[in-house]
Amino acid sequence: MSTPICLRCLRRSLFPPISSRAAKLAATRAAFSTTPSRSANPPKKQSTTAKRDTSKTKSLRLSKNKRVVTGRPPAPGERKALRKRVVLSNSNALEVAGLEDFTAENVRRATLLRQLEGRVVGFGDATVNVLRALEGFKPTQGWGLFRRPASLVRAETVELGEMMQTLKGEKSMLSLLLAGERGSGKSVLQLQAMAVAYLQGWIIVHIPEAKDITIGHTAFQPVKTTDGQTIYIQPQYTAELLDKIAQANRGILSDLRLSRQHQLPIPIQSNISLARLVELGANDPQLAWPIWQALWAELTAPSQPDKQGLHRPPVLVSADGVDHIMRNSAYIDVETKPIHSHELAIVRDFTALLAGKTALPNGGMVLAAISKSTAANSPTFAAAHGHPRQFARASRDRRPKLPEWNPYDSLDQRVAEVMENVEVKNVDGLSKQEARSVMEYYARSGMMRGTITEGLVSEKWTLAGGGLVGELEKGAVRARF
Amino acid sequence: MQQQEHVSEETAKMNEIMGKEGPDIEGQGTPVQDILKAEPEAQKQAPQVMKDSIRTGQGAANAKPSTSRSFSTLTRRRQQDLTTSTHLPSSLDPSMIPTAAQRATYTDSHPPAPPSVQDTKTGHKFPLPSLPLPPTARKDERYDPIVTQLTNLLMRDGKKATAQRNMTTILTHLRTSPAPVYNPTRPLLPGAPPASHLPLHPILYLTLAIDSVAPLLRIRSQRGAAGGGVALQIPVPLGLRQRRRQAFMWILDAAEKRQNRGSGRDMFATRVAEELVGIVEGRSGVWERRAAVHRLGTTSRSNLTYGSRGRR
Repeated sequence: MSTPICLRCLRRSLFPPISSRAAKLAATRAAFSTTPSRSANPPKKQSTTAKRDTSKTKSLRLSKNKRVVTGRPPAPGERKALRKRVVLSNSNALEVAGLEDFTAENVRRATLLRQLEGRVVGFGDATVNVLRALEGFKPTQGWGLFRRPASLVRAETVELGEMMQTLKGEKSMLSLLLAGERGSGKSVLQLQAMAVAYLQGWIIVHIPEAKDITIGHTAFQPVKTTDGQTIYIQPQYTAELLDKIAQANRGILSDLRLSRQHQLPIPIQSNISLARLVELGANDPQLAWPIWQALWAELTAPSQPDKQGLHRPPVLVSADGVDHIMRNSAYIDVETKPIHSHELAIVRDFTALLAGKTALPNGGMVLAAISKSTAANSPTFAAAHGHPRQFARASRDRRPKLPEWNPYDSLDQRVAEVMENVEVKNVDGLSKQEARSVMEYYARSGMMRGTITEGLVSEKWTLAGGGLVGELEKGAVRARF
Repeated sequence: MQQQEHVSEETAKMNEIMGKEGPDIEGQGTPVQDILKAEPEAQKQAPQVMKDSIRTGQGAANAKPSTSRSFSTLTRRRQQDLTTSTHLPSSLDPSMIPTAAQRATYTDSHPPAPPSVQDTKTGHKFPLPSLPLPPTARKDERYDPIVTQLTNLLMRDGKKATAQRNMTTILTHLRTSPAPVYNPTRPLLPGAPPASHLPLHPILYLTLAIDSVAPLLRIRSQRGAAGGGVALQIPVPLGLRQRRRQAFMWILDAAEKRQNRGSGRDMFATRVAEELVGIVEGRSGVWERRAAVHRLGTTSRSNLTYGSRGRR
């Protein structure tokens, strides 16, 4: 067994010896890599054998076997950037006349928001910039087909908007998990919640893909907490997250200043604005984690509206694809045991908010959404948000049946504790009225041809699995012409 | 040799002498019903249908068949098939289309028929479909014919769903990329709509690109026909589907040679779509291939008669 060697490797990576050679190596290599730098760039072998005479090789030489490279090859990262590019406008699509926007006015008043129900409503330019900075738009959604971003205000949106008004007024907190079929509009509902939060003057913290935290693509390092636990921080990822927070909330955070002293590795002004603080963390991954902690201490401090810069607005914390953080991560510890996702520092903070262990004294909402297109296997989490498969079977049998725990699955105690008090909101398909509204929007944009009749709406609604909006879009706009 | 006159000619001459009107022998022959009417002996031998028609008196109506046929014997012109019927603007002269006033007069003089069961749609658990059924209502023909054909040509290893996804990507690219700029040196099909109309009609865009660059003929090489071991080049006209197939295979070849700028499963379809845009804008090398085939067809047009004149 080669365990001792492996352990030594890990220990060495955990506590790097300070030597001039290692420092030089660290300076040259990338911030994080899953392969040791030594094997990434193997030293060139001294050629001991005589050089082979290439003129006497017996391989078949054909002109068609040569690979001709023409033009500049794509730069590193360019190909992925093109794949992940989010296009929000199609200049060929028709401008929809009378398309209203989400405004601060119609979002703050419940009656105005209710009037918008069942209509397609656009996002204003400022809102689009904020949502783009938060990476709320995804490349798989159909934004690139229409003139400008717009979404259907459904009953759930109005409900969520009213809930947020109440939470802001009462300074209370709510944890909500959005569950539902693939393409039912969970992520877009989250996006609408972010838009409403922005227009109501909330601070928004959004984790666009929880999967990115746990799949082991970003550097991690252990730290000891005050209560003696080992948690794992991810400096690069934290810095990127702080960057998104800074870009999206610049307007609000620049009005807020520090309310107390924090233990930070660098000296900072005592009255520095929160926007500047977050930018410091975004620019330096080594500072990201302490600044993340300082930011949360500030956001969860009680509001002092009478003092300038010490008022604290409500906070919306959201994460998409949370089933990936409800299981073991892809990282391993020094004993080569898998690290549970909840031991990762960012996930730990998020789940503390989701479970209500960390309070938001100025009001706020924790909005998590599951992912069905990249669903991770997490039996405890699946049971917690309703065991949809068993429910489906029960409804087919027409016998009400309580979800049963599969005795062969191991219960994840941490996940069970977190999910204990989380409210689950099931996002279903659209009603036929809503489906008609969204199809009329497609037709007025010029993306769907033909008259929208009751029969057509009914047909598409049925083919879309009972009005799943993603499937409706696929059937009406994408796959059929 | 003096031949006996035809019965009609005889009657015509007789009537001319008598000063009566007779059968018009200049225009056409005498209908057999006329002859039968005059000769009771022949009536007995006539077929039953004719006997019946003489008895009911319909024979008189058939006495002079009209000179024009109710159907056309001309073969259908290929040109009509080249354009998709639904999208391209009508080439009819505007004067042939009734004006609004004429239509109003017509509808006034013809009251609408009472609504049929189809229209009222009552008495059925599920409503009846409106007739005639649209051509896309059938399962096997739910897509445009050109889309079906090109999807099958895109297919590799029998993966039709992948090919359909690629076709969707192509059409989506055509919808979302900026409107093409026509190149006057590369004329497209006559009657092409303005370039700004194309992105919102992606199938028309696709059809226009494919049909514009489709060759009219292929060159068949007949071995041993020219003598001296040289193959004889014979131009062969292509049908509509053959032309489209040839054009699309050229486009696929050109797309394979393009370089990917991104990554992911939709890259090949994107390259095909870029090639299609290149064709409409006159930048594509497929135009050269078409021109080369047509040039060869022109030079070898004397070989067209090879089959009819026989082997040398």
